[in-house]
Amino acid sequence: MLDVGRHPNIELMAYSEVEQVEGSAGCFKVRVRRKARYVDEDKCTGCGACREKCPTDVLDMYNEGHSTRKAIYSWFAQGIPSTHTIDPDHCRVLQGKKCGVCQKRCEAGAIDFEQKDKIVDLDIGAIIVATGYTVFDPGKIPEYRYRDLPNVVTAVEFERFLSASGPTHGHIDRPSDILARREIADLEKEESRLQKTLARYEEKAGATSQSVFETFAAETATPEQQQWMEKYREYLPLTEKLAALRSKAEGFATAKRLAFIQCVGSRDLRFYPFCSGFCCMHSIKEAIIAHEHENATTSVIFGMDIRAVGKGFDEYKVRGGNKSNITYRRSRVAEIVNGPNDNPVLVYEDTQQQKVVREDFDLVILATACAPNEGMKDMAAILGIELNRFGFFKTRPENPLDTTREGIFVCGCAHSPMDIPESVAQASSAASRAVQTVTVTPAKLLKIS
Amino acid sequence: MNKDMLVIGGGIAGIQSSLDLAEMGFKVYLVERLPSIGGKMAQLDKTFPTNDCAI
Ligand SMILES: Cc1cc2nc3c(=O)[nH]c(=O)nc-3n(C[C@H](O)[C@H](O)[C@H](O)COP(=O)(O)OP(=O)(O)OC[C@H]3O[C@@H](n4cnc5c(N)ncnc54)[C@H](O)[C@@H]3O)c2cc1C
Ligand code: SF4
Ligand code: SF4
Repeated sequence: MLDVGRHPNIELMAYSEVEQVEGSAGCFKVRVRRKARYVDEDKCTGCGACREKCPTDVLDMYNEGHSTRKAIYSWFAQGIPSTHTIDPDHCRVLQGKKCGVCQKRCEAGAIDFEQKDKIVDLDIGAIIVATGYTVFDPGKIPEYRYRDLPNVVTAVEFERFLSASGPTHGHIDRPSDILARREIADLEKEESRLQKTLARYEEKAGATSQSVFETFAAETATPEQQQWMEKYREYLPLTEKLAALRSKAEGFATAKRLAFIQCVGSRDLRFYPFCSGFCCMHSIKEAIIAHEHENATTSVIFGMDIRAVGKGFDEYKVRGGNKSNITYRRSRVAEIVNGPNDNPVLVYEDTQQQKVVREDFDLVILATACAPNEGMKDMAAILGIELNRFGFFKTRPENPLDTTREGIFVCGCAHSPMDIPESVAQASSAASRAVQTVTVTPAKLLKIS
Repeated sequence: MNKDMLVIGGGIAGIQSSLDLAEMGFKVYLVERLPSIGGKMAQLDKTFPTNDCAI
């Protein structure tokens, strides 16, 4: 990635979008919108001083919403370019309020609230579309209760939990526990706020809230006493709730019994009939890494079959089974319901024993389908190319990387679901197809004459 | 005939295409929608089948 930022022949236009493509192969006219970052790319050193005191927290989608970032942010720590960006939907100044803290903190003077989008026109010979994919939204499968059960997560969310730079610094904390800890923190803030208020009343009256409460009669109380007791009535249930949550939190432990559900949205006639190709492998990988993090971890991978088709993939699968406490169970999980202690309970038929089984786990990970990216229709319209019936860019089997318009090629998951090695191989092929478009060869000259 | 290249999308596929073209001597414009390149791969902890770090 670093090489891209440094290569003298590459002009990196991040935070930008292609808006218009005219002309034809060899002479495309392309219009790119460079969105305002409100930070000068040439001045910003990526130091991060600006974000330290930014008062605005926003859900961090790089961590799949399991942590927060500031309104001025970098997409991730080692991001290229490292230029920070102000989120115009959340920044106080850009929302017409007062702030500007980041501007004061930035020693490079890079913050520029007046920055506007820039339009850049390019003359281009050939185009490669590599806009990738998005993961299927498992909320569309009601029987898996993804939205209701906190301990049912997607494989991408789980990648972030496994990562040292993720929301839990690589510990596999359960989302229900994280939520409870966050609730405790919020309640503690509220508690200390109320305690301060009560202390003021107590000092003034020279009596404890408790003693006043015991003899309190609304009819004879002064307005001040009434307000005091109102606060005290807020305070009592809050402390009870906090005590209960705190004692629950003592039992919190990292997730050690994991279930992976395969083909969530893939090979499912309701959604995508195709196999997404890489999800069996990423479930095995995640189970292996989880076991590396904590030796006591066991994983069950539920699938119709495990598709480990690729160089060295089947060996990887077998090794996972032998060395990383992974069990492969042939089944299509029918339902996930909530069990005691927020443990998701899987209801499935064990096809080998021909029995319906209910089994509970600490955490369930959904291997969601590789779905066409958002905005594929718009992109196709801008480029003047067609999509296939699933929403990926259309290609022909004879020329698998050529789109329906000459001089425009596609590679990676914008083409169809594929893993990284295959994406890389396609990318190199697409590059060579693009070069063929702009190179005048003797054979081409012969054709013209 | 113009020889400059446009690559749309800065995931692993777009990065690889851009580097190949740039190494062959072509000028490449790499357009990425998000503030940084990397795509999905940048969110991965490690990658199969080698379990190397993704970034
Ligand atoms: C949980 C999980 C784990 C995985 N683990 C592995 C693994 O271990 N090993 C492996 O080989 N594969 C793995 N994969 C598969 C891997 O993610 C893909 O093979 C790979 O990311 C595909 O790369 P890509 O460049 O085609 O697409 P993407 O990574 O999706 O990149 C596309 C890029 O294009 C940008 N973009 C989109 N639309 C536009 C637009 N209109 N304009 C400009 N830019 C745009 C996006 O922001 C993004 O940066 C995993 C997948 C998942 C879901
Ligand atoms: S001006 Fe906006 S980005 Fe800067 S510190 Fe304030 S809220 Fe954050
Ligand atoms: S790779 Fe595995 S989980 Fe993914 S769709 Fe194919 S069979 Fe299902």
